[in-house]
Amino acid sequence: MIHFLNQTRLALPQTLRRKKIIFEQIDFIAVQSAPIILISVAFAAVVTVLESSFHMKLVIQSDSMVPGFSSLLILRELGAIVTALLLTSRVGAGMASEVAGQKVSEQIDALRLLGINPFEFIVAPRLVASVISTIVLVAIANVVSLYMSMIVSSQILSIHPELFWQMMNRFVEFKDYGFSLIKAAAFGALIPIISCYFGFQSESGAEGVGRTTTKSVVVTSILIIVFDFVLSYIFSYFY
Amino acid sequence: MITSILSFFDNIGRPILFALHLMRLTLKLSFSRNETFQQIYKITINSLPTTVMAGFFVGAIMTIQFTLQMRDFGALSYLGGLATSGTFREVGPLLIGFMLCGKVGAFTASELGTMKITEQFDAIRCLGADPLKEIVIPRFIGIIVSSFFLLVGGLVASVAGGMLLGILYAGVSADEYLRHIPRFLLGISILSGFIKSLTFAILLATICTFKGYHVNGGAKEVGQAVVSTAVASMVAIVLFDWLTSFSLEVVIQIFQGFT
Repeated sequence: MIHFLNQTRLALPQTLRRKKIIFEQIDFIAVQSAPIILISVAFAAVVTVLESSFHMKLVIQSDSMVPGFSSLLILRELGAIVTALLLTSRVGAGMASEVAGQKVSEQIDALRLLGINPFEFIVAPRLVASVISTIVLVAIANVVSLYMSMIVSSQILSIHPELFWQMMNRFVEFKDYGFSLIKAAAFGALIPIISCYFGFQSESGAEGVGRTTTKSVVVTSILIIVFDFVLSYIFSYFY
Repeated sequence: MITSILSFFDNIGRPILFALHLMRLTLKLSFSRNETFQQIYKITINSLPTTVMAGFFVGAIMTIQFTLQMRDFGALSYLGGLATSGTFREVGPLLIGFMLCGKVGAFTASELGTMKITEQFDAIRCLGADPLKEIVIPRFIGIIVSSFFLLVGGLVASVAGGMLLGILYAGVSADEYLRHIPRFLLGISILSGFIKSLTFAILLATICTFKGYHVNGGAKEVGQAVVSTAVASMVAIVLFDWLTSFSLEVVIQIFQGFT
């Protein structure tokens, strides 16, 4: 694993020349997953508002704090982690099965034979593309889910949109948004590294590719949750 | 345009019909019972470590977030109750559903898909047995039943994780963390968590058996089926998360209207 990371790091400067692959990957990761991810995040925001309204009624018998708490929860956790988990299943599984297929059909050995470093050609472009597109996706998803929670709280909880933004501004600071983008960058780096690592180690046969895909999705999701915990813990000292 | 709309409804309708067919066969009790118990055991044992670990960290994350929000109000004694209630009602079932998607859903889809393309289903049919009853229904029921055990494991781990972080990070003693849990954790919250988890499990079981059973072609199609299973079941889970939250709210209001 350390060898793999080191090889990827060494390949990073050269890979920036391969703009075509990077743009193809950005198209695959960001553009094609954007509709699914934005719809899912919007619905997750609706649920957050409903749930925090339930808890607020339980504790202080009023809905007035819902905008602040739910927008904090969306910005600090939900936006980044739901986007990352959805990307894991869509992009991570796709990458793992693609790279494993290349490994099984000996295309990676063929690349080596042609004098092309497979890390420069396969891993590093995906890493760059994934970090960029995850940051962009999370940035958009945060805004979409905030608007969605505003709509829901004005429709169901009858909180005026103006009041929603006022309450939100009292709780949320700009660094919340920045921290969620840092989280996004970490998750975005995690997905291609784990998928390509397992893909490179894939055994031959259809079963091997399937097992590789499953394993990489599971490991990536667990690591995303663990990283989320670690980052939340570190960021909590900055408030 | 019209064909794309039709195929959209086709993609929703066919899994539903497939699930109804499976459930009808299940109600007739005409499936391999031995295999079913084996599947329940296998799925539970294989996924328990993953789920427990995910639950532990989810509880820890929830505690950190709630601590940050409540420290300003000096309401840290409510921390345990609120974090636990939030995890049980909403975040726990959702994240455990996501984990199961990646682990069980993808695995079952690829297993069934591999069986399909290597013509093992045809072989079973030649032997005079029904592959639906022998292979598919045990997995379908196995996922649904074991998701219950996995949810319990994950939630217990999340309480442990939340309590650990409550002690280490928020400085709330274990006693104080646990004391408010019975007040905030209403029966209806636990029930709604379990209803959600059951819904997610049925969705996941339907989608992964459907996609796996209907693979055509070769190894590449199996890979595509695995990826599309993971995506479809995650999106379905998020949508139904909203739907169950919303309909439970309505049901509760109706009942409160009666009393």
